[in-house]
Amino acid sequence: MTLSNKIPCSHCHLEFTQDVMIKDEDHYFCCNGCQGVFHLLSDEGLDSFYEKSHGVTLTPPTQQYEDSLNFNAPAFYDKFVKINDEGFSEVSLIIEGIHCSACVWLNEKALHKMDGVIEASINFTNNKAHIIWVDEVLKLSQIIDMIRAIGYNAYPYDASLQEAHANKVRKDYYLRMAVAIFSSMNVMWIAVAQYAGYFSGITQEMKTILNIAEGVLATPVLFYSGWVFFRGAYFGIKNKVVNMDLLVATGALLTYIYSIYITLLEHGEAYFDSVSMIITFVLIGKFLEVLSKKNAADTLDIIGKHLPSEVNIVRDEKIVPCKLEEVSIGATVVVSSGEKVLLDGYIVKGEGSFDESNLTGESEPIYKVVGDSVTSGTTSIDADIHFKTTKDFEHSTLSNLVTLLESAINKKPKIEQLANRLSEHFSTTILVLSFLTFISWWLWPHSFETSLMVGISVIVIACPCALGLATPVATLVGLNLGAKRGILFKEAAQLEIMAKADVLLVDKTGTLTVGKPEVFKETIIKEFDYKLLYSLVKSSKHPISKGIQKYLLENREFSEEIIFDLLTQVPARGIKASYKDFEVLGGNLKYMQENQVGVDYVSNKTMFYFAVDGELVCVYEMHDKIKNGAIELVESLKNRAIETIMLTGDNEKSAMSVADEIGIEKIYFELTPEEKLEYVNKLHTQNKVVVMVGDGINDILALAKADIGIVMGSGSDIAVDVSDVVLLNDSLESLLGAFKISKTTFSLIKQNFAISLVYNAITIPLAMAGLVIPLVAALSMSFSSLLVVGNSMRIRYKWNRS
Amino acid sequence: MDNMVVAMMLGASLFLGSIALIAFLWAVKSGQFDDEEKFLNAVKFDNEDDLNDAIKQEKKREDLKKKNYKPE
Repeated sequence: MTLSNKIPCSHCHLEFTQDVMIKDEDHYFCCNGCQGVFHLLSDEGLDSFYEKSHGVTLTPPTQQYEDSLNFNAPAFYDKFVKINDEGFSEVSLIIEGIHCSACVWLNEKALHKMDGVIEASINFTNNKAHIIWVDEVLKLSQIIDMIRAIGYNAYPYDASLQEAHANKVRKDYYLRMAVAIFSSMNVMWIAVAQYAGYFSGITQEMKTILNIAEGVLATPVLFYSGWVFFRGAYFGIKNKVVNMDLLVATGALLTYIYSIYITLLEHGEAYFDSVSMIITFVLIGKFLEVLSKKNAADTLDIIGKHLPSEVNIVRDEKIVPCKLEEVSIGATVVVSSGEKVLLDGYIVKGEGSFDESNLTGESEPIYKVVGDSVTSGTTSIDADIHFKTTKDFEHSTLSNLVTLLESAINKKPKIEQLANRLSEHFSTTILVLSFLTFISWWLWPHSFETSLMVGISVIVIACPCALGLATPVATLVGLNLGAKRGILFKEAAQLEIMAKADVLLVDKTGTLTVGKPEVFKETIIKEFDYKLLYSLVKSSKHPISKGIQKYLLENREFSEEIIFDLLTQVPARGIKASYKDFEVLGGNLKYMQENQVGVDYVSNKTMFYFAVDGELVCVYEMHDKIKNGAIELVESLKNRAIETIMLTGDNEKSAMSVADEIGIEKIYFELTPEEKLEYVNKLHTQNKVVVMVGDGINDILALAKADIGIVMGSGSDIAVDVSDVVLLNDSLESLLGAFKISKTTFSLIKQNFAISLVYNAITIPLAMAGLVIPLVAALSMSFSSLLVVGNSMRIRYKWNRS
Repeated sequence: MDNMVVAMMLGASLFLGSIALIAFLWAVKSGQFDDEEKFLNAVKFDNEDDLNDAIKQEKKREDLKKKNYKPE
């Protein structure tokens, strides 16, 4: 049997002997499945796939699938298919069998060619596809049939599935690391004997025994723990990228083979310790990276996680709970004070104030009466209402936001990390250098063995340990620094992206301002008993009353509160109460005028008037206070050449007053969540790296789409979920801190790279000259790694002191 | 002779070490460290009754499995 009579299948490129294959003109196929796919692709004009995939081995499409028609079942459609507002159907699928970017290309092309498919975008890293189609033309089953016909499989996407996958990866790494660390530690003990022998003399026999023991230990490290590097190198080569994995894999494999050769020859020095050390160090670095990677899929479960699945509806004059998805249009939903509105509709009974700041950014509560519309996503402050739904949950404002959000997350631009770019050049250079060294030594002339050893020593000495550890260690330090200050970066890579930021977009309410009205100015016209006012405002849940209540508690002294004989709250006006023979009145200007209280104190700010017995005694000017450090933040970012732009849903007047006070020059007001998203997109087209800070549901689209979304810890749960960075203490100082930390970390990464490059610049020429003895190689390897780790720790020490 | 002693000791210690490693790998693989809370609290639930319960549970699962395999 010779290898030459094995030929690859024209589709899947698996190799078989010619006689078992199906011959079809010039092509050979291993099975009918491959033949079918091949013809389908040629007929569709997609055969350039084979050019693009460069002979990637594919899974032959031999699998028999169950009938795809069950994908058309209403139950399935209900669960996974969504109708967007243009009336198209959308579905998320995981595509199985994607090996390379050519596969992604093929799937997208094939789907795009189908009548009725509007958009198909597939993510290479997580194999997730988002497909939009017209259901009248095409059924989901046909789409799935197409994916299967071209040799892949698809199944609907479930967020928990992704999590299971992430856990599997992590566990896999644990196992590999356990083996690597165990073996390396033992190899090191044996290596101590080797080095002792190197200096004080050792018999060749003993050396061979030690070599064999080391070899036994190094084997699982290389082939089990190091498998990730072989795999990475393989995928790298396939995509024509020379990556770090290739360097590690070649270096370790060549050293391993060479060491076996030495052991068998019973002459010279074996380097099994280097093999296991390299793999272990770089594997740990890689594990740290995997660990700090955010699971992007988590966010997709938002709706189930943060929204109650049931609402109370009125049925047969009784209030009964009902599943959110099952609430029909026209049903009457009950909302009590403090509850979230989950559906859109109009009020049929009751009235009260609603907090719409989540959706619109409007800081003032909105008072709504019968006939007014309520929007999903807003919260009732003090309203107990019944409302009739006008849309079902699938089409509600809230549900739409979630759909938009998912697509924003998926289409987030990817910024390449420094490490990836650098390692490509580095790996290529080292591999070329080592090859040149080998050739020139061989031609010089030296024995093949000596030249090979010198060639390998170049790769070994250019140990990628330091380079591999440079980013993970630095980012870990950065993450740690942040965590201590209440700044949580969800993914290590974000530190680097944030360091490159060009624009900071800020939301107003809750971000720049406290979000709750506070007393700005108190004007006392006539002395009065503060306990009267305190007791009055305490009876109301309105934010303004709360602001005054807080002010009084902090600034005024008064005896215990009193119980009013009579107390009436007039919505959107104020409160009236009587105590003994006093009559007290608190509220806005309109309320005072209605009650014939003479007021000559007017301002364009929010005012609260307090009158006793029809005589104005005191006026409070309220405003939403700007957070500490806002001015410093804008100033300091300006010095760092980062432009600050304010995006708010609030009106021009309040936006301008805040912007003027802080010194923000560029503002956009009365924006809807979608408009904020648009603005982020616009900045992206100008190639700007965008950082967005916000807190509410009205910001989530922009937060998800921005390169870095920062959210205040007190923000809504959904916002916290989609964001990349969370500021736990809500302060703007920590926002500035986040910028500082990312800058520091990025410079740390650069320093670490510089260290390992300088180190390589010194040692590689030595290795090329053949001057590196094993002890030097081992020492310098550990030393370079220690330098990198030590440098990272230095920054931490410096930060912790300041 | 000396060499043989070293070789034997190396072999024996590597063998023992690998048994420990394999035990650890098995533990990780079978998910014993998946839930750290459970793992740390395991010592609290490590008495005779719990062991018996665990065995009963295992038996029940086996029975159910067998029942499923029975053609009906």
